Amino acid sequence: MSAAEPVRIGVVGADVPRQIVLAAGATPVRLFGAWEGDTSAHARELLGAVDAVAVRLLDDLLAGRCDDLSALVVCNDSAAHLRLFYVLRVLASRGDVPFGVHLLDAPRAGGAPRRRFVSWQYARLAGFVSEQTGRTVDADALGRAAAREARLVREIDRMRARRMDGTCSGAAALDAYRAALTLPPEQAADVVAGAVEPASGAVPVVVTGSTHPASSVYTAIEREGLRIVGEDHDAGDAAWIGAGVEAATPQRAFDALAEAHVARPPAAARSTSAERAEALRELVSAAGARAVLAVARDLDDAPAWDLSAQRAVLEPLGVQVEAALRIGADEAVSAVAEPARRIAENQGERA
Amino acid sequence: MSDDRLTSAVEATRFQKQWFLQTTQRARGGEPIAFLNADAPHEILRAFDIPYVVTQWWSSIIAAKRQGPAALAALAATGLPDFSVQYDAIPLGEQLLPEAERPWGGLPQPRFAIAERSGDVTQKIFEQWGQREGTETFLLSRTAADPVPSDWWELVPHRWEEAFGAERIDLLEAEIRELISWLEERTGKAFDEERLADIMALGNEQAEWNRRTRDLIAAARPTPVAVNDTMPAVMVPQWHRGTQWAVDAAKRLYEDVAERVDAGASLCPDERVRLMWIGRGLWSDLDMYRRFQDEFGAVFVWSMYLGIAADGYARYGDDPVRALAARFVGITDQLYVPPWSSQWYVKEAVSHGVDGVVHLVADDTPGAGLITEALEQQGIPVLEIRANNADERSSREARVGDRIAEFLGTRVTGR
Ligand code: SF4
Ligand code: SF4
Repeated sequence: MSAAEPVRIGVVGADVPRQIVLAAGATPVRLFGAWEGDTSAHARELLGAVDAVAVRLLDDLLAGRCDDLSALVVCNDSAAHLRLFYVLRVLASRGDVPFGVHLLDAPRAGGAPRRRFVSWQYARLAGFVSEQTGRTVDADALGRAAAREARLVREIDRMRARRMDGTCSGAAALDAYRAALTLPPEQAADVVAGAVEPASGAVPVVVTGSTHPASSVYTAIEREGLRIVGEDHDAGDAAWIGAGVEAATPQRAFDALAEAHVARPPAAARSTSAERAEALRELVSAAGARAVLAVARDLDDAPAWDLSAQRAVLEPLGVQVEAALRIGADEAVSAVAEPARRIAENQGERA
Repeated sequence: MSDDRLTSAVEATRFQKQWFLQTTQRARGGEPIAFLNADAPHEILRAFDIPYVVTQWWSSIIAAKRQGPAALAALAATGLPDFSVQYDAIPLGEQLLPEAERPWGGLPQPRFAIAERSGDVTQKIFEQWGQREGTETFLLSRTAADPVPSDWWELVPHRWEEAFGAERIDLLEAEIRELISWLEERTGKAFDEERLADIMALGNEQAEWNRRTRDLIAAARPTPVAVNDTMPAVMVPQWHRGTQWAVDAAKRLYEDVAERVDAGASLCPDERVRLMWIGRGLWSDLDMYRRFQDEFGAVFVWSMYLGIAADGYARYGDDPVRALAARFVGITDQLYVPPWSSQWYVKEAVSHGVDGVVHLVADDTPGAGLITEALEQQGIPVLEIRANNADERSSREARVGDRIAEFLGTRVTGR
């Protein structure tokens, strides 16, 4: 690896404060898995009954497709990811994956005891990444890391505005988010700035539910005449980017990041349905969406539990709610077409 | 074949039904009761003298009364999922059944619903409890099993700081203290830490009896008791952990088993195959455990209920709140997280001399394959079955009995 290429740290899940990884001189590279593709019996056997996207992620790792990474951080942000960590920890101890695997366990609920624990987790994360890069995470490095993300954050804000005025489709935005979560911030900012693609659909909708590993399902939804102007999953608007904090010491920075973690958009697998429904209501009204499409994969059950609370909050406001739940492996593109069409028809009549 | 049920099992089952009927009667009269998950710190409720019903136990009753599907259908009718973490969700649906269909008259609306945020949806199920009139919900964090030092069963009674890591325990201890304040505010009662210390001591005593019983069964040839008997004889006292009754019940179970061993009693004198059952009990069909004796001379000698009661619960220490946090911080990790799970199952399989393992893989269990691999490395064949124990539809689909028979016929060689 040349000096120009920084160490790349794989990230599973959405809880890693990128500032810490960047400050240690590494690039955080989110791993997404995929919507489609066969899963191996071996990976299924290891993980048991679990979201197919996590199984594909394990397959990627076992097949050596991520061997360019220097290490992997797995977040306890869903049961599937936690299982993945447990399995990878055993595999790493036998040399079946060629790098160290580290758990980031960051409870969401807020309050002093949880913040203390999360702050300690961040200090541990900093230690782990520093071991990979040989660079200490100090206050200066943290400050520089925060500054590196500033332009990316501005470009993401602009992209959000483009989504609302129809000059950036949901699928294009999701691709840009993917770049933001896998590239060094300077390159990522360029990609996000270039995300301009007039949306073909007319009806503004918000997508809730499972995380989207790729934009194929967005493309299928938008093909039905919808325009995805926002989402509450962490591969899109709810990704944790540019949370940089200013602090005199790393400890204070970790405390402040732990505080910021609590203020993030609530996650399906880690927050209550009431919190989720309220956040979705705010998102829908800020984005001017007329409908919500809930998309959840089979065995990713948290979104299904949120749906009734979400309906209760949105339907009285005249927001149409449609759902594609328990989507099986490889069925996503076809499973969303029908509910997307119902929205397009209904909203077309109303318009 | 011996069909005598253990006196301690019969007594425990009778006691539990009586206790439930009395408690629910008092609750209908206005006394507060609590509804808790099995991995929540029950001992705090005990110290407040608030009776509590445990989700997993209540689910097993609903399943045994064949009301699981109706409860799930009732849940679905309100727009909630009927396909997700059914074992936790069934009691929520039971509340919605018509009066006449509710097992044992049903569970009255609890005043408190308390759970750890395990998995992705337990918190949402308990959130639903809190949205019903008269119930408030308290949620505790569920941190992940990290670190996982080897041979946890050696560490957890005294060296629990080492077993689980001080930080995880710090967090749960702080949250238990939050729970204490929360209950103080709502009940107007003051928490009595000495009372908790006594409760912890009784729980440890109970665990010691369970350890003796487990060791006795591990060593006995042929096996003197049925697992479907030890399940209620162990589990009912677990729901009363921290009482003198529970200690006495655990002691009675030990004495029952010791008496049988002394008398040379056996479940199946022609015992040729010793089996281990990994996973939750098949409560909807407990007789299944005895079905393989005549054809195969096969007896189930082990289930996690006694095993975990023997190894999983004892926590000694001067600070009862911290010791209690150490009891629950990783209670399910001990059973479900590799490599802890596989290390422990191998230890138990070897000490019980089993010839084969039936592994009911629940949908919330990671690394089942690693458990299988670890056991097979010891030369012990494993049958994996994927089914949810409380949901009859899914256990029927998995054809549990047929598959065990096939496994015994083709892969297990006994003596
Ligand atoms: S096989 Fe075992 S259980 Fe069946 S009759 Fe003979 S001794 Fe009894
Ligand atoms: S523990 Fe078993 S036997 Fe006892 S009451 Fe529950 S289901 Fe019935």
